[in-house]
Amino acid sequence: MTSYLARRLAGTIPVLLLISLLVFLLIHAAPGDPTLLLLGEETNAADIAKAKAHWGLDQPIYVQYGKFLVSVAGGDFGKSFKYAEPVIGVIKSRLPATIELAIFAILIATLMAIPLGVWAGSKPNSWIDNLGTTFGLFGISMPSFWLAIMLILLLAGVLNILPTSGRSTYGIAGPEQTGFYILDSIMQRNGRAVWDALTHIFLPALALGINMLGILMRVTRSSILEVMNEDYIQTARAKGLRENKVVWRHVTRNALIPVITVVGLELGTLLSGSIIVETVFSWPGSGSLLITALNARDYPLVTGLVMIYTAAFVAINLIIDGLYAIVDPRICY
Amino acid sequence: MKRNQRILLASAALALMLCSSSALNAQTRVTVGVTETIETYNPYGDSVSLLYGIWSEVTGPFCTYNYAKGDFEGRLAERWKVENPTTWIFSLSKNYKFNDGSTVTADDVVHSLMNRVIGDPQSKQKASVAPSVVKAEAVDRFTVKIITDKPTAPLLSFLCDRLIVTSKAVFDKYGRDAADKEHMMGGGPYRLKELIPGQRLVLEKRPDHPDAKKHPRAPDEIVYRIMREPEQRVTALLNDEIQIAQFVPPHMRQRVQSTKNLRITPVDSVEIMFLAMQPKPPFDKKEVRQAVCHAINRDQIISTLLQGEASRLDGPIGPGQYGYDPNLKPKMNYDPEKAKKLLAQAGYPNGVDVELQTPVGRYTLDKQITEAMIPMLNAVGFRAKLLTPEWATLWANVQKGTIPFYYMGRGSVQDPSAALHQYFHSKETPRIGYVNPKLDELLDKEQQELDPKKRRQYLSQAMSILTDEAPACFMWRHKLLWGLNNRVDYKPLPDARIYGIDMAVKR
Repeated sequence: MTSYLARRLAGTIPVLLLISLLVFLLIHAAPGDPTLLLLGEETNAADIAKAKAHWGLDQPIYVQYGKFLVSVAGGDFGKSFKYAEPVIGVIKSRLPATIELAIFAILIATLMAIPLGVWAGSKPNSWIDNLGTTFGLFGISMPSFWLAIMLILLLAGVLNILPTSGRSTYGIAGPEQTGFYILDSIMQRNGRAVWDALTHIFLPALALGINMLGILMRVTRSSILEVMNEDYIQTARAKGLRENKVVWRHVTRNALIPVITVVGLELGTLLSGSIIVETVFSWPGSGSLLITALNARDYPLVTGLVMIYTAAFVAINLIIDGLYAIVDPRICY
Repeated sequence: MKRNQRILLASAALALMLCSSSALNAQTRVTVGVTETIETYNPYGDSVSLLYGIWSEVTGPFCTYNYAKGDFEGRLAERWKVENPTTWIFSLSKNYKFNDGSTVTADDVVHSLMNRVIGDPQSKQKASVAPSVVKAEAVDRFTVKIITDKPTAPLLSFLCDRLIVTSKAVFDKYGRDAADKEHMMGGGPYRLKELIPGQRLVLEKRPDHPDAKKHPRAPDEIVYRIMREPEQRVTALLNDEIQIAQFVPPHMRQRVQSTKNLRITPVDSVEIMFLAMQPKPPFDKKEVRQAVCHAINRDQIISTLLQGEASRLDGPIGPGQYGYDPNLKPKMNYDPEKAKKLLAQAGYPNGVDVELQTPVGRYTLDKQITEAMIPMLNAVGFRAKLLTPEWATLWANVQKGTIPFYYMGRGSVQDPSAALHQYFHSKETPRIGYVNPKLDELLDKEQQELDPKKRRQYLSQAMSILTDEAPACFMWRHKLLWGLNNRVDYKPLPDARIYGIDMAVKR
């Protein structure tokens, strides 16, 4: 296992290098000059030249990339053009909001999708199966930006039970400690702030998680259907086990392996989905930060964010591989 | 009086006292849903309308533009005079004090202008606030001399509502980053209470400030919440999550107006919308450009798509903007027959292919409006196509002068000088690439003419040439719709800046 992990970790280095090169080249090739976008409409040629020199944009691209690699090796992603602060600091201040949102989206998706998928798969062609399949199709088909607006209209507008946007109500939360509002509020024993944070996170997490919910539900259903026809399930039934026990103990556990793979893959989608959802809900996370950085052609910040996202994606895949061994004892590395 | 009655009376009096005392101390808060992002503690680190307003209020506006009077008026800078064409003298009020009680002085103004706006490489405001300023010096404790590299008649339009004055002493003591983030001090009627980048900014009133004393009903706290989606702002207004919603789209007007306790207040923006044409084939011919202007039925677009929420422009600017001339000629009225004839005169009797480019979602209904323009252009003989590139791409190409035909807006046009120079002076930017020595001469003269009457004449002549030569067809100024809760009295400004001191809350 240790050597396997070491091999996988070593394999991430060329991946990260390649991604950094691609992002660096693509963002520099994209039309739009950060100096023109950031310095305002009335800016003149002299100020543009000065800003380019200040940001190192007057140097050849390979020199810029070389310098970038050297500083990244030292843990420094450079300074953001827009924020004039170290990229790492800017990302660090926004990442907890995205992680908190992603955790809630996963919770909503898995807690709803797995029972629904198991139920639908164990009773094929029943009304619950049809309902679950329709729901899954709805989840997969709905674009998150449309769903987000609909959720705002329905739950915040018509029913008026949830706030439209933001992460908290001004004046309720205590001082920030970890950057995770819910955790901070729990640590501060501020029940009102916990509730406030939960009401704020519900809509964006639902909008973000519903696509994953649809996919997970369908994968769980298919996997359950497949395992249900296995011989050992017939044996379990022949032994006289109750159907519930057969489904939850024998079928579900074996059917979960592909589900875990999909959860891992979908985590990456969740990160990219957060870009849209965060923007619609004014959620101050790294997704909305990426949009701001792209619109400003803030090269260091865009590159830094994509690198962090890539690293997160690689790490998630590693964790998922590790989880296989726990779920299925037959798998060992 | 019986004992019970006395107790009852005393209790009632006590309750009344408590109530009135709590009413007196009650905090009033107004939450505003805004569209622009609030991303940095550095007040000089961004260059957008909303932030100029917010930071100006924290640090005390240097001077401000009064739209009712159509002229500039003093705030921190009480008065000014032009000593010679390149030297301006500003006299400061002695009543403006920073949060720590120290007085705002000429040294702070000089420091803010020279070290923060011009000298700091992290500043994004030099071009907008001090494009021609070469030097600022303190003449005495409350007098500042500003020297420009050339006569700059519209200097006030750069400084007013834009120059943010921060404390030199705090900067010297803590350094730039800590001064901005941890010790933000201004001489304005509000102070910064909280900033969560990307989410909200909170200002708190300074009751001891002279402007705050003059406006006792101004809210004690103002919360600016970023809400980019119109649906979000309108829903939040309906739910009383916010009391002011910036930029309600015309199609949502009815939803707000039909709700009890809410109202819509329209205001003519100072953003001019136009169709720009690079003088390259086929737009190198004046007749083709004029044909475009005569082909677009602006009144129809305003009355249908924009539901009346725009004011037609019969020249580069409209009423309330500096230098507006109601008698400006010629006027480019909707006349499709004339447009057809002009196109034939230009040598295109069988029509010509053109590609119109527009941003999407940057201006009110920009895509829908330009979609409506396509059949209008085709009806007079153009074979028009609509392209919708991403904003950063479009903007970069506009600035390089590589887009022949585009729909665009230019904001903050209180005084049109900067905008006219940017788009139409041949030596400024290649955005349109129009060359006309007579126009250049008039624009140079207006910029250097310090006599307002003569300057208006030069502006008027320049704008007449522009309307006739038509390197751009001037379309309209949108009416910006603000959704307001009836608990708040507020008259929004055409430049979209928001000043809490202008609000009055019903307690």
